[in-house]
Amino acid sequence: MAAACRALTLLLALACAPEAAAQCYAVDAAHGSVTFLVDQAGAPFKGAFRRFGGTLCLQGDAVTRIDVWLEPASTDTGLPELDAALKGGEFFAADQYPRVSFKSASIDMQRDREVARGVLEIKGTRREAAIPFRLQGGAAKPVVSGSFDLNRLDYGIGTGEWSNTKWLGGEVTVDFRAALSPE
Amino acid sequence: MPRFRNSSERYGIIAQALHWLIAALVLAQVALGLYAAKLPLGLARLEWLSRHKALGVTVLALVLVRLAWRLLDRPPALPDAMPAVERRAALATHRLLYALLVLAPLAGWLLASASGLSASWFGLFRVPDLIAKNPSLVAPLKLAHKIFVALLVLAVVLHVAAALRHAVVRRDGVLHRMLPWQPPAGR
Ligand code: HEM
Repeated sequence: MAAACRALTLLLALACAPEAAAQCYAVDAAHGSVTFLVDQAGAPFKGAFRRFGGTLCLQGDAVTRIDVWLEPASTDTGLPELDAALKGGEFFAADQYPRVSFKSASIDMQRDREVARGVLEIKGTRREAAIPFRLQGGAAKPVVSGSFDLNRLDYGIGTGEWSNTKWLGGEVTVDFRAALSPE
Repeated sequence: MPRFRNSSERYGIIAQALHWLIAALVLAQVALGLYAAKLPLGLARLEWLSRHKALGVTVLALVLVRLAWRLLDRPPALPDAMPAVERRAALATHRLLYALLVLAPLAGWLLASASGLSASWFGLFRVPDLIAKNPSLVAPLKLAHKIFVALLVLAVVLHVAAALRHAVVRRDGVLHRMLPWQPPAGR
């Protein structure tokens, strides 16, 4: 469809492009991962969020909208005691704030990658964030991926003694990658 | 004059320094491990376990240096007066001590690696992981670490009892071979 539209655009150089319908895709969590990396006592510590999802819309080749979420209650570090602590009040307070979300306001191209600007909401704190990402695999099997850093203290992740960043780093790297399926 | 190398009667100061340094660090490690493992999940547990891991790999490194030195500089022979059964017991205990001095920290290092809680040497550099993170190995490695440490403590108790027996009952100077000062005159 998109390819046909592009061909038509070339041929007619007319109304086709503006009228191209947005194609929205659902994030396929079964074929993806969202992981985080944080320094603990001088060594990197890795974990994952197992439940996440959302929508990504394309108009032609351009990404026009991103609306994604993850559930901190699905935090998985492989260490049950740590998972429980991370879901607890000092970290995600997952009972009270069951979803982390990102909604794009604008998306622009920067060199070879795209950057989504919008609002990242974690633990009830909403902040402007710029999240770089790549869309690969073509229209048939699109895959979205990217990586960005955030300061966990900006969102109150780690209160009380955990607001000390000497033993548990403040900077958290989030890596994401997921296949997209047409909605 | 202190001697760096062992003589036929005494240990040299290299062997002595390694012996007592490792002895002190192992005692500190047992205390640190017991203390840290009892702490509830929190910043203090993270801090003390990190120090325990850093000091633990230091012990392992020193033990390896000590074993290498032992190959280069053979220990003095046991006194001829010692009964054969006691010599065999001493030899077996020493071998057991060396084996456990390697196995106990090695199991701890494997445990830290499998947990995904890698060690750092006092924040100065990262200690590499021995194996990839693997949650299913955490419980068995924790058990292995505890068992090797418990056996190490038992072997140390045996070793100390035997050393005291040499010093107090036998008065054969065997303990003084590992001490930096000479036995009192006229023993
Ligand atoms: C001679 C060296 C060592 C000794 C004597 C020692 C001793 C101990 C002891 C007594 C405990 C408490 C066990 C318990 O009651 O639960 C412990 C726990 C622990 N050790 Fe070691 N350790 C040594 C080396 C290491 C090394 C090299 C590492 C890692 C690099 C390590 C990592 C740990 C960890 C992670 C625990 C906590 C286990 C838990 O979560 O309960 N240890 N150690």
